[in-house]
Amino acid sequence: MAKITINGTELKVKNGTSVMKACESLGIRIPTLCFLEEINEIGFCRICVVEVEGEQDLVSACNTEVTNGMVIKTDSQKVLDSRVASLQLLAGNHKFDCWKCPKEGKCEFYNLLKEYDVVVDDFGGGNPRNTEIIPGIGIEMDQSKCVLCKRCVAVCSEVVTAKVLKFRDDDGMNPIVSPTPGLAFEDAGCIFCGQCTNVCPTGTLHETDHIKRVEALLENPNKKVVVQVAPAVRASLGEEFGYKVGTPVKEIQGKMYRAFNLLGFDEITDVNWAADLTILEEGTELINRIKNGGKLPLFTSCSPGWVRYTEMYYPQYLDNLSTAKSPHMMQGALIKAYYAPKYMDEKPEDVAVVSIMPCTAKKYEISREEMEVDGIRDVDAVLTVRELAKLIKKRSIDFRRLEDLELTNHLAEFTGAGTIFGASGGVAEAALRTVSEVLEEKPLDKIEFHMVRGADFESYKGFIKEATVTIAGMKLNCAVVHGGAALKEMYKRLDEGKKQYHFIEFMACPGGCVNGGGMPICDLPMEEVIRKRAQSLYDQDAFDTELRQSHKNPSITKVYEEFLKEPNSDVAHKYCHTHYTQKEFRKE
Amino acid sequence: MMTESIDVKQLFEKWILDADTKLDEKDLVQEIQNYLLSQHSEICGKCTPCRDGVVRIETLLAQYVDGTATLKTLEEFEQLTNNLRASRCSTGLDIGKNLEVVLKNHYHVLYSPVRKY
Repeated sequence: MAKITINGTELKVKNGTSVMKACESLGIRIPTLCFLEEINEIGFCRICVVEVEGEQDLVSACNTEVTNGMVIKTDSQKVLDSRVASLQLLAGNHKFDCWKCPKEGKCEFYNLLKEYDVVVDDFGGGNPRNTEIIPGIGIEMDQSKCVLCKRCVAVCSEVVTAKVLKFRDDDGMNPIVSPTPGLAFEDAGCIFCGQCTNVCPTGTLHETDHIKRVEALLENPNKKVVVQVAPAVRASLGEEFGYKVGTPVKEIQGKMYRAFNLLGFDEITDVNWAADLTILEEGTELINRIKNGGKLPLFTSCSPGWVRYTEMYYPQYLDNLSTAKSPHMMQGALIKAYYAPKYMDEKPEDVAVVSIMPCTAKKYEISREEMEVDGIRDVDAVLTVRELAKLIKKRSIDFRRLEDLELTNHLAEFTGAGTIFGASGGVAEAALRTVSEVLEEKPLDKIEFHMVRGADFESYKGFIKEATVTIAGMKLNCAVVHGGAALKEMYKRLDEGKKQYHFIEFMACPGGCVNGGGMPICDLPMEEVIRKRAQSLYDQDAFDTELRQSHKNPSITKVYEEFLKEPNSDVAHKYCHTHYTQKEFRKE
Repeated sequence: MMTESIDVKQLFEKWILDADTKLDEKDLVQEIQNYLLSQHSEICGKCTPCRDGVVRIETLLAQYVDGTATLKTLEEFEQLTNNLRASRCSTGLDIGKNLEVVLKNHYHVLYSPVRKY
């Protein structure tokens, strides 16, 4: 233990603790722009500097370890002056159009400028070092707002492992952060998971805007616009309107439906429904592969970021991927081909589908060439949760005061299995709830499969959870994998071939959809956010839904009777399945 | 970009030991500018005080050259010089220390053109 003094208060902390952590233990929050625990402790921004007695220079609190007898001052005039000066320097190179910045009130840089009363005008503020906007189908980068904190670079290389974003310091006076210079994100190998947008302290990295597209659709008198909302959205939308992280889903869901109604959507549907449908399609595929000696392990295909990751970096595993489209793509195709003509009396081409997603990669997914049936695109626009909240605010809808709206159409009827798709391990659990009952031909003794739940999240870099489940006398080896580093590790294990897996749930984002790249920005630790959001989904499954197994959803039975015939039928394949191909990108 | 090497040791001997020599404003500003320019290739671009601070100090020195410097210019110069003490590596720290020497020994030269009374 080291005995140290912080601002006159003596305390003992473990040797090796950083000054920042030691200060936190005393209730002192050291400001920072670049720090990310474990993955970006680099001391670039110098906002976290503190004064240490005996040291001539200021030291960065994030990456300086305490030593016995250290006397630290975190609030001396020298420290405060230095923080202000560094903030002024960064402000001098930052474009200030805060009122239209995608970061929308969640800008860490803006908050620090405010906290420290930084006067920008005197300092020649707002002259960006670089004005380039790097385009992308799922995410974009406005370099005029970059503060060179390198967080995105760390996340892209350590968490996602795609290594698309790099800190380019060939000219030390004018460094930039960018994908391969001259290339858009899609050409540079980006998987559009959007984890970089979540950690960016400014609005430099943000989702590709679809708000204008949705507004144009809503204003088009010749289009009927159908909205569909993903499971994880209801676990986080409230945060944008002042609700606590982990607020029970039942407090948000009805208001969310009402908000869709007020925004002017013609029909409101729920992707939880298609999550149930996915289980029927994917589960049947798994059963068929097990029974008929098909390619195993079967990989889930719900996460478009991870699908793209495989297509670009591990194309040898493409045959393992389930051919089932992700739930919102299935539902989009069925809304147009089945629901619109039968229940809306509309032609498919006169209907537009808007998906509300926790994910930036879904924006990329809807642009994939193969995501259409008979020349009609499955989905027309994707809004992230952040974008939806922005649209709700823009239309002056007072979310907190909205009355709950109950949906009556059958594309909004779902089971608890559909709900838990939003949490990591949810897809695997939902599949096991159905597959085991179908194979064993008797009701399950216990609905929950806790062994595949991924909410006990431990690391930024994601994790792998393995379980062996015995179903109808067969031992099925399942795994739940989320986070890029874990994806890579899983592929390594598969390459080594030491264990035969049957079913693997993959998610590109650590924690699954509840931590997607389009979710609200939150200042709590990532693990806590994931745990709380996931819990609210598991609670909806356990307490708010009558049925908890996808195959028991009567509206799913109905769609098979009325349109799809049976799981994996030719019709089902036409609308609900797809194929994957190796994707090229330019390596640096 | 200028890469001409400067005999830093010699320069600082002049600045430190020769504090009473009557370097006029023009010579002093020119020498600091040359010195900072010579450090460009050493700057790695990672930390804010050095990467952005040096550029800003050069802008302030340019204000001396074109006669638009004010008391605020000098105050800012001091502030940024002090802030170089928060740099991440010896490049920024050394630039800061050297500029502190300039301020200590030649403050009057930089103050004289911007003083109000």
